[in-house]
Amino acid sequence: MDKRKIEENIFKGLMIFSTSIVVGSLVLILVTIFLKGFPALNLDMLIKTPKGGYYLGKEGGILNAILGSLVLGIGATFLALLVSLPIVFYLNLYLKKNSRFALLVRFFLDVLWGIPSIVYGAFGFILMVFFGLRASLLAGTITVALLIIPIMARSMDEVLKMIPFELKEASYALGATKLETAIKVIFRQALPGILTAILIAFGRGIGDAAAVLFTASFTDSLPYSLFKPVATLPLAIFFQLGTPFPEVQQRGYASALVLTALVLFISILSRILSKRFTKHTIK
Amino acid sequence: MELKTHISVKNLSIWYGEHQALNNVTIDIPDKKITAIIGPSGCGKTTLLKSFNRLIDLQDGVKVSGQVLVDGEDIYHPKVEVTHLRKKMGLLSQRPQVLPMSIYENVAYGLRIHGIKDKKKLDEVIQHYLKESSLWEEVKNRLHSSASKLSIGQQQRLCLARGLAVEPEVILGDEPTSALDPLSAERIEQRLLELKNQYTIVLVTHILRQAKRLADYIIFLYLGNLIEHGPAEEILKNPKYLKTKSYLEGQFIEEPKIDKELNLKGTVCPDNFVKAKLALEDLKLGQILKIIVDYEPAVSEVPKAMEYEGHKILEVKRLNFTDWEIIIQKRNNTYLI
Repeated sequence: MDKRKIEENIFKGLMIFSTSIVVGSLVLILVTIFLKGFPALNLDMLIKTPKGGYYLGKEGGILNAILGSLVLGIGATFLALLVSLPIVFYLNLYLKKNSRFALLVRFFLDVLWGIPSIVYGAFGFILMVFFGLRASLLAGTITVALLIIPIMARSMDEVLKMIPFELKEASYALGATKLETAIKVIFRQALPGILTAILIAFGRGIGDAAAVLFTASFTDSLPYSLFKPVATLPLAIFFQLGTPFPEVQQRGYASALVLTALVLFISILSRILSKRFTKHTIK
Repeated sequence: MELKTHISVKNLSIWYGEHQALNNVTIDIPDKKITAIIGPSGCGKTTLLKSFNRLIDLQDGVKVSGQVLVDGEDIYHPKVEVTHLRKKMGLLSQRPQVLPMSIYENVAYGLRIHGIKDKKKLDEVIQHYLKESSLWEEVKNRLHSSASKLSIGQQQRLCLARGLAVEPEVILGDEPTSALDPLSAERIEQRLLELKNQYTIVLVTHILRQAKRLADYIIFLYLGNLIEHGPAEEILKNPKYLKTKSYLEGQFIEEPKIDKELNLKGTVCPDNFVKAKLALEDLKLGQILKIIVDYEPAVSEVPKAMEYEGHKILEVKRLNFTDWEIIIQKRNNTYLI
């Protein structure tokens, strides 16, 4: 066979191999969680809070963690959105394309993205002590927001960079200000990408254990106050898997299944919703 | 032809970083006429056009010197509200760029940002301008579907309606028909001809036939320099200078080969004229003399006198704020009285 053709086939083989590793591990993870968790999953787990001795194998559920994670995840995503949108609009509309400051901001965001979440947890803890706050829903939300701001902002930034210059020009040419252009034109055009960025950040935030370990603590009760500790699913999974009892460990897998399903559900829901807002987007 | 001036450009130079895109352009754009800016690619046509609504501000590292007066007001003055200026100038770009909204909202966008909120009034105005740009019949039943689903020719007409709706005084067209099929292009041209009674229109075009069809006034730019400008008929039939002639005839534009150079800075008329005449004496027929002057009246008087003597003026070009270059070809040395 021709040498170039062999070359082509070898590299094509490599590409298929790499792709199947990624797809394979995803499937494997989902199957493991499902096989181990689904038998232990029951309605009680979803609608009850842990009773005394839940972690020893007695009755109860993880409603506290499900609700806690949702509240904390959505809260943190919302906070992060409030910070990220102004950042990316500033970077992409107000600063010049080759602005050094923009370069620096992007570099900082990239570095922040790479910082391990346990460091954010520790940092959040220091902040908490400084402001005299106790481990609480508020402190956890703020810490997770800090963790996901770089993720959200950089993902949105990449989307906004792709917006054609002519679109901004068309809006400016009508006498629009930068703010009007940002909110009424760029935001609409970038909405699908912005939603994806929000979802990536949300998924990361709701699944993180280290950032909430010190800052949100854990509780058996439902989240009812910003200033009280809150339970989260990752920590619930951690505690359950950490017990020596096989049946509690099984519940840990069930909780992992719940967490995965939650993220999946929210991303599908928001994609359906976003279809309604993005029908005018220019392809 | 006596023309009222709408936009007056004075010594305008524009740089993108190190690259100078326009060099000391001075020109008056007539009111309620179609002015075509012609010239080969990369000669500064679009830069000149976009300097009128300050869209060049958006480019990186742009530097502007000189003045652009619109209705007598310098638009590069720091106190000028750039959004007001842009409202006065409707833009049609090379490729129509609709906004990510419905057809209705595309036109409503400009109106809303300039303070028209009343639904009834909006409906009325939008219908009026969609008719004005001859799009109404095609879209009246689907005003709320996406603008991006329109054909490209319809999109350009929508852009026209959108631009007209904010009631500009000037329409700037940056090769507005270049992305369109011939039929759509013709419709746009037709609209422009009808609109010129109400608006001052400035068109960048590289299609000479289009300039012939539409323009009342023509500006010829070459490599950032203003080479020639004047009423369309004059320029198209009798271009004064060599480069304009080459361009109009579809030939390569070449820099004339200079046989002799003479610096006449600091001299006044008729001294400079006499010196130039003496220099020409030394040249053979057909050879070329370049003189540089910095005395304003010399710019028009020296060429006039030279032509009177039978020589050919190939080019009169502004070099910088003070200096001009006049290129003369020696012809018959007989008086033409």
